[in-house]
Amino acid sequence: MNDNELSSMVCESVADIRSSTPVDQIISRGHAVRARRRRVPAAAGALVVAGGAALGVTALAPSGHPAPAAAGKAGSHPAVVRLAAWTVAKQANGEIDVTIRQLQHPAQLQATLRADGLPAHVSFSTRSTDAVCQPYGLPGRVSPKMIFSVASPNDGRDGTIAFITIHPSRLPSGAGLALISEKALLGIGLVHASQQCTG
Amino acid sequence: VVRWVVVRTQQQDFAEFYSNAADECLRTVVVSIGDQDTAQELVDEAFARAWSSWRTVSRHPAPKAWVVRTALNAGISRWRRRRREVSVPDPARAADLPAASGASASQVDPQIMAALMRLPARQREVVALRLILDLDTARTAEVLGIAPGTVMAHMGRAMAALRLDLQPELQQESRS
Repeated sequence: MNDNELSSMVCESVADIRSSTPVDQIISRGHAVRARRRRVPAAAGALVVAGGAALGVTALAPSGHPAPAAAGKAGSHPAVVRLAAWTVAKQANGEIDVTIRQLQHPAQLQATLRADGLPAHVSFSTRSTDAVCQPYGLPGRVSPKMIFSVASPNDGRDGTIAFITIHPSRLPSGAGLALISEKALLGIGLVHASQQCTG
Repeated sequence: VVRWVVVRTQQQDFAEFYSNAADECLRTVVVSIGDQDTAQELVDEAFARAWSSWRTVSRHPAPKAWVVRTALNAGISRWRRRRREVSVPDPARAADLPAASGASASQVDPQIMAALMRLPARQREVVALRLILDLDTARTAEVLGIAPGTVMAHMGRAMAALRLDLQPELQQESRS
């Protein structure tokens, strides 16, 4: 019996073994592990991290700026707002870079974009904006790429889902931007700006 | 005018990894420790830890090896906690005790499993990582924290012992 035959024999002897645990069970157990791990540092730093930091907010601008949860007016938050789920960075030329890592905290993202002066609607629980927003049709010659561009690395690095660059100055009058998602799709599109839809 | 981007969430990534790796990792740990029920518990725990640190684990050069190493470490920790309460079974008889070993529900070849259980633990781990998980010598050495030369030596001795142990079984089978 040579090494190959012996190796095959060992492999075949366990070939019928299959894991019987569903992935959902593993994931919920993983959440428990994560919660267990966070308990000690959370208790130690409870006073320091109270408020917005519970969402993982790290404001990179000088201290004294309000947290994004409180942001509702243009210019009332730091140039860069970073949560574990996403980052919004307003550039000096007015461009807004949005990095999406997790489809979480849509309300905070919406508030941050609106605070940057962008009429925005963000929902990560539905693909349909029909209930509150009307799609905005661009004239034939105008490409949405002129207003926003999207790159989806899909390489798993940093868990980044998409990089979105928005040019608010190129947004047609009366238009706003919608970020909507359902299951495995993230949609970025133009909608009619309205109080109900884009604030 | 909506541009749709296919989003690959971390959860999808992990689910795909789990689907591809769970059986292989379980087999590797079964061969390493010889008890399928315990192996299943350890591998489940290791995958749960992998999910809880998925950003790090997903970038690991060999995530399956990470899971197996974590499962084996969890087994050692568990054994250390319980060693004063549990009697250690004779490894040579492990395959003869299906109900106690948790192998009753499995379809593991009892002769081969018994031969594997007669190997020293480190040799079994090397065999499991090299043959079942298909790691090369360097990666196996890294996972076990030993020198590549030591991996080769363990592998050579393990194969020789298995050959010696299983040869009579084969000869007997071919005669009958």
